[in-house]
Amino acid sequence: MNDIVMAASVILILIGMTAAIINRDPFDKLISLSILIAGVFPFIVDRGFLDVAIATALIAPLSTIFTLMVCRRVKE
Amino acid sequence: MIAIYVCAVIAVYAALRVIAERNTMRKLPFLNVISFAVTAIIALLLPNPITIIAAAAYFVGSTLESNAIASTWAGGIKKP
Amino acid sequence: MLDEPARILIAAVLCWINFVAIDVFFKLPESGGVCGATAIAEEVEKGGGNLHGGFMLGNIVSSPDASAGTLLAACGVYCAGLPGGLFAALLVYIGNRICYDPGYAGTTGAITATFLVYGMTQVGFAASDFIAGMVIAIMTIQGISYVHSSRLIARLWDFRNRLLGGHP
Repeated sequence: MNDIVMAASVILILIGMTAAIINRDPFDKLISLSILIAGVFPFIVDRGFLDVAIATALIAPLSTIFTLMVCRRVKE
Repeated sequence: MIAIYVCAVIAVYAALRVIAERNTMRKLPFLNVISFAVTAIIALLLPNPITIIAAAAYFVGSTLESNAIASTWAGGIKKP
Repeated sequence: MLDEPARILIAAVLCWINFVAIDVFFKLPESGGVCGATAIAEEVEKGGGNLHGGFMLGNIVSSPDASAGTLLAACGVYCAGLPGGLFAALLVYIGNRICYDPGYAGTTGAITATFLVYGMTQVGFAASDFIAGMVIAIMTIQGISYVHSSRLIARLWDFRNRLLGGHP
């Protein structure tokens, strides 16, 4: 991977992490976490682990959906 | 080689727009731009036939995540 | 022939025309497909945009439609040639079914984009130009200003209704 793409992925991870720490609203926290996961993907694909990338891409939304069930229960 | 730089720059720009936007629902279009850019980066990094499945799985997963967040937010607002 | 930045800009214009024409033709700005899309449209209207443009922004966010079809078809042509693009169209259809969508717009967009990208690679363009061009095109719709892009889409929606009939 060349340097600019790596720097962009690191910036995405740092932005997602900082926003997930700072935000108070649970939905904003989930959006920040999905920025963080988007930054992790180029590192997985660059090493050639495509099967790991497919598995992560399918598991990450499921974990978000399970977390959303808790959010809905809190809001009612 | 310029193509992957364009995608990386657009991903960072959209991430900055996400944290600058205050409204939760208006953050989601910028999040969609990030998932487009990351899908393009995945495809451009490793030209291999299985990469299509990885890119499509990432894109569909991210879309499903946005769909679930928006639908839960709408359902949570309407109930009380 | 042309330099790479010029090719990327031409590819961006072609991708923009392709996905906006197919999305507007398949009535994406008419109503929200799921309740999340309707919520996004209402928030966009509250922020000063147009309701029908907001419906299209919400539908693009909450299900893979012609824009996703264009991007994945370009990725498929880049990785595996013409069969890769058609395989990407199949994946877009499966993704549409996962997200509670009929899937006409996504599949049609993927198939037309496959032939567009494959035809342009014969002329001298590279498929990677179309991948970057599609990212630029989606950024102009979703990423710059939701107020202006929703008004632009509403104007195109009115134009389509005047041209093809149907209720306004």
